[in-house]
Amino acid sequence: MATEPKLSHTAAMILHTIQAGQIYGFSVMEATGLPSGTVYPAMRRLERDGLIVSKWEKQSIADAEQRPLRKYYKLTRAGETTLEAMHKRYPLLKKMISDPEVKNA
Amino acid sequence: MSLRLLLRSLPACFFLLRCAAWLAPGRERAEWLAEWRAEVWHVWDSYGRSSQVTDLCLGAFQDAFWLRWYSPRSMARRVLRTGSASRCSAWLSGCTAISFVIFLSLPGARKAMSPSPYWNADGLVMISSGGYAGTQVPTIALQDYQSWKTSTRHLFTGIAFYQPIHKRVHIAMHRGTELSIGRASDNLFKLLNLPASTYSGDRASGQYAARLFLSQAAWRELFGSDAGVIGNHTEISGQRVVIAGVIAQDSSQLPGQVDAWLLEDERHLDMLPGNSKGFVVAHMRTSGPHRVDGWRTMNVRSEEGDNDRFDCISLAQRSRLPFSIFLFTLIVAVVTLPATTALPLGEYPRVSGRLPWAVRGRRWLFLLSKVSLVVPLVCLSSVDVAYGIPSLSLTSTQYIQLGLSYFGFLFAFRWILQDQRKRCPVCLRELSNPARVGEASRNFLAWNGTELICAGGHGLLHIPELPTSWFSTQRWLYLDASWGSLFSEGCVPFAGFV
Repeated sequence: MATEPKLSHTAAMILHTIQAGQIYGFSVMEATGLPSGTVYPAMRRLERDGLIVSKWEKQSIADAEQRPLRKYYKLTRAGETTLEAMHKRYPLLKKMISDPEVKNA
Repeated sequence: MSLRLLLRSLPACFFLLRCAAWLAPGRERAEWLAEWRAEVWHVWDSYGRSSQVTDLCLGAFQDAFWLRWYSPRSMARRVLRTGSASRCSAWLSGCTAISFVIFLSLPGARKAMSPSPYWNADGLVMISSGGYAGTQVPTIALQDYQSWKTSTRHLFTGIAFYQPIHKRVHIAMHRGTELSIGRASDNLFKLLNLPASTYSGDRASGQYAARLFLSQAAWRELFGSDAGVIGNHTEISGQRVVIAGVIAQDSSQLPGQVDAWLLEDERHLDMLPGNSKGFVVAHMRTSGPHRVDGWRTMNVRSEEGDNDRFDCISLAQRSRLPFSIFLFTLIVAVVTLPATTALPLGEYPRVSGRLPWAVRGRRWLFLLSKVSLVVPLVCLSSVDVAYGIPSLSLTSTQYIQLGLSYFGFLFAFRWILQDQRKRCPVCLRELSNPARVGEASRNFLAWNGTELICAGGHGLLHIPELPTSWFSTQRWLYLDASWGSLFSEGCVPFAGFV
């Protein structure tokens, strides 16, 4: 029997935000309203648990826009599975942060 | 530019990030800093000088700390891990340090442990009424002292009297302060062989003035350490005295805390009421049958025909007493230890020979470190309690130190052995997950006892419920590396003194 990872509401909210398209630290902060001292350590924990992965953007993109390289986060397959379980556990999660598709519609 | 605006500037934010980066583990520091710099740059680019930039930077400290704490190589986490040997040593060191600080802050305790400042302390005795030896309360009447000056010449080469009093000392024009003064006979410092007693400048002028010797603390506080006051005259409650010198802080270990010593000649002392109480110090003749090596009782027949009992205690013996008690209780505790707990630490199989010498040696080093921390801890704690209360008599103080020191050593050594037995011999962490194995009714047919496991996967400890001829003491079973996959923490990389 697969064990379901237990996430706090904050961690689930961050996971949902990343899945919703907020793919770097400060955008997660803006979407959730959480301070940086909470968001970044939570993202490190999620990455350590294999629920998200981080990736540096291409140097050429940053050079073209004359800005420093940025690190982006995205959900892994395990992260998506966990998020589905978290949606059942915290039903209001979807309403708190809407999906980008919903936002654009 | 205001401080607030300065903190919101990009260089200031980068400086904050660089400071926070020192908290992050070295291997991840460069990548961590690059990510945070990029984040801050984007926020600053979007919002300019706003509080959001500073708030973002302050969160970097928490993030860096989290990385440090949860790093697999985090030394702090490994040291402070529950049940680790380092945590135990840190706890013991902390307690010892606290006892030492308390010891330093208690003048009574400090004085008791410092060596005798008198070079001729072997011959010096303190005389007090029977049962009051070592108290801070004066017990000898002046009239007794005056009669002993002549009647005890066959016992003592010299005898001196002093009495702690509180008097107002005139410091400057229209200024005075209340001081605790030891009013003493003129020969006190000569008897104690203190160098400060040599000043006699005023006698040359033909006018007698009592000599005042200030303690270093009083000299510093009242006269601002001005060396020019030596030789000046001052007044103590109307009496003209000359400031003859300053005596070193710990040069006197006599009972009674005084800020200054006032040495007066016998004529002035004779003017005091005969029943006023003080302390008496005497110097024994070094030869003859009356020599005092430790404690002696002196019986004096009073005018009414009663026998008055006085205690004579050697000042040298008095200064050595705390150490003698400490040594005595240490030996007695070691001798009586087997009556309270088993001495063997358990059976460890020969397979331990495969372990490096450093790993095997650490176990004994840890045992030694616990002993070396516990001994000063018990010694200092017992001295702190016994000598920290100034109103106690010497006898009470000795009994308190004796009791605390003995039971302290006994229970500390017992704890050391018990603690050592329940630790993994490889990583020295406390064993956990106790499990009952076997049934009591089958004690003679099968093994029955408790099994504990090392969370690092180094082995199992079997403790028999009832010691038998084939299983008399606890037995350790080493687990090989193939068991490592079952444990959350790899046993090999973290094995050791953590």
